[in-house]
Amino acid sequence: MNNMNNMNNVYSLYKCRVLRVYDLTEEEKLFLFRFEDAEIAETWTFTPGQFVQLTITGLGEVPISICSSPMRRGFFELCIKKAGRVTDKIHELQPGDVVGVRGPYGNGFPVQEFEEKDLLLIACGIGMAPLRSVFMYAIDNRWKFGNITVINSAKTGKRLLFRKELEAMRDVAEAENIRIIQTITRDPDWPGRVGRAQEHIKYANTSPENAYVCVCGPPQAYHDIFTKLIENGYNPRNIYVTLERRMKCGVGKCGHCIAGSSTFLKYICIDGPVFGYYDIISTPGLI
Amino acid sequence: MRYVKIKGDKIYEFLERLKNYGKLYAPVKISEKFYDRKEIDDVGEIAFDYQRTIMPAKKYFIPPCEEMFEIDMEENEYREKLEEVEPFVIFGMHACEIVALRILDGVYLNEYPDIYYERRRKAGIIIGLSCLPDEYCFCNLRRTDFVDIGFDLFLHELPDGYLARVGSPKGHKIVDENPDIFEEVRQEDIDAFRAFEEKRQEMFKFKGNFDNIRYILELTMQDKLWDEESEKCLGCGNCTMTCPTCRCYDVQDIPEIGGKKGKRIRFWDSCQFRSHGLVAGGHNFRETKRDRFLNRYICKNSYFYPLGTSYCVGCGNCTYFCPANIDFQENLMKIRGREVIHE
Ligand SMILES: Cc1cc2nc3c(=O)[nH]c(=O)nc-3n(C[C@H](O)[C@H](O)[C@H](O)COP(=O)(O)OP(=O)(O)OC[C@H]3O[C@@H](n4cnc5c(N)ncnc54)[C@H](O)[C@@H]3O)c2cc1C
Ligand code: SF4
Ligand code: SF4
Ligand code: FES
Repeated sequence: MNNMNNMNNVYSLYKCRVLRVYDLTEEEKLFLFRFEDAEIAETWTFTPGQFVQLTITGLGEVPISICSSPMRRGFFELCIKKAGRVTDKIHELQPGDVVGVRGPYGNGFPVQEFEEKDLLLIACGIGMAPLRSVFMYAIDNRWKFGNITVINSAKTGKRLLFRKELEAMRDVAEAENIRIIQTITRDPDWPGRVGRAQEHIKYANTSPENAYVCVCGPPQAYHDIFTKLIENGYNPRNIYVTLERRMKCGVGKCGHCIAGSSTFLKYICIDGPVFGYYDIISTPGLI
Repeated sequence: MRYVKIKGDKIYEFLERLKNYGKLYAPVKISEKFYDRKEIDDVGEIAFDYQRTIMPAKKYFIPPCEEMFEIDMEENEYREKLEEVEPFVIFGMHACEIVALRILDGVYLNEYPDIYYERRRKAGIIIGLSCLPDEYCFCNLRRTDFVDIGFDLFLHELPDGYLARVGSPKGHKIVDENPDIFEEVRQEDIDAFRAFEEKRQEMFKFKGNFDNIRYILELTMQDKLWDEESEKCLGCGNCTMTCPTCRCYDVQDIPEIGGKKGKRIRFWDSCQFRSHGLVAGGHNFRETKRDRFLNRYICKNSYFYPLGTSYCVGCGNCTYFCPANIDFQENLMKIRGREVIHE
């Protein structure tokens, strides 16, 4: 899966060129990249849920989830929130600029296991970034999956990630048994659905006993989402979430992302960032 | 295993010969209370009876600060910075520290091998040395008081010299190339080795093992002991810096004056520092001192499955060097319940 294993230095960077920049919200932009090296561009691949380490020369490195489908060889997309030193600078990138990338890292979602099953994706805020990769992958392999629902939520309509993209797809998608639900928690002017993501689980087109669920959002929201999922009949063993930590190396060395308890100590960067429901709820300190 | 003997009067000659295999590092006394490892010119300086050094041997494999890449800002390039690693010999590593090095191997040479570490590891020759525990040592509870692999030679003290176990091809080479230093092991040497091991076992403060401590710790994370003990902690990070298996590092890109070049460096970090769990937007995954304090106990007591030990090898450094007199072993004993220990 990781085609960089044979590289002799895991921290070495590959040059990537920015091809396009799209404004998504006031704080998030979507970047389309291509590897400069043609051979790497052709062979580099990843699993939805994995992330890369992106370097802005002279400034530093940040972990970012890949948000496109691995089926588009040679290209990948990152959705990046302006959050600090490095990400501020990333937001200044223009088409033609070059950055350094290494990866992909992490376990990713077990998408092979999801095949032939229904798929429910629940995103809160920036959580839509890694889940968009799962979603795009499922669309690219539509025949492999059953019904699909995406619940995309944010505080306000303006902050809803990929809002237009998902809106534009909605009617066509419905005909393909793909349901798109976008919901807002704190926006009186929003014309569409309101309420938190978990309140819309009951509107999903997925059959609970036959579905896999991927959740990504702030960890505080997880318990509530789990409760609602189980109430609606979803199998806890089929629930996966992604976690976030401070990361420096991405390869299980620097120790920053270590979390969990003394019987289940995990490196979020290599053992995760994707974890199953039971790992999460039986390990103090993971969320 | 191959066993050989070094006669007492040959030990300094042996140390002198070690210099043929690389730069020699060994413990020396640096003050009333402290020892440290340094490069040895005069082998007479070497301290055989040291207990612990102020910096563990990890410093030779993961330097406190190192340059990973040279940054060329104009070319937008990060050029790998791999300096020549000359062969070196570390003399006098105790069993616990050799196990610690193997734990670092498990971390640094996993499916993503760290080339900086790997090159140094390949260049290093490890000569172990037997020891007697002091009140801070609890390697026996960690089952790391005796080491099977991870050294080239391991020297066990005898009344009239050293019994050496040969642990690697490099070790065989040293023995083969210096026939005048080594001789055959006799029955009385074996008896003396046995007696030493027995005496050593009796000297440990506590008997038994810490196998179940990770479960007990997990079940007592709410205990008020952690409130009280973390209250005393200064957050100085001495405990992690002196721990032979702690290896957290931070990375920074440092531009040079002029702005054309720069360095990507990494340097030791500590989970006892507030910044360790801090992410953009001010959220901290280890917000309170209690979180950070307990994090070290959790991490050190968790299972390192490739070796079947915990990440802690029971060396006692973290207690010995703690300015707040926080006793790591004592706290674990308390959490486990002293009455279950058979002394
Ligand atoms: C697995 C993973 C996937 C992520 N995916 C995305 C994504 O798809 N889109 C997105 O916008 N953000 C994502 N993040 C968060 C992103 O990495 C941080 O926003 C970013 O590191 C902030 O860096 P900064 O230099 O701008 O901020 P500063 O506050 O200046 O941070 C300084 C340094 O601290 C570290 N750091 C700070 N915050 C984080 C953090 N949240 N996570 C890890 N390291 C941090 C970085 O090394 C950073 O360079 C992800 C984080 C992780 C761990
Ligand atoms: S050495 Fe002692 S005071 Fe310093 S961080 Fe460790 S436990 Fe706290
Ligand atoms: S935690 Fe303390 S006793 Fe255990 S290996 Fe580290 S320094 Fe030694
Ligand atoms: S990010 Fe360095 S160990 Fe996980």
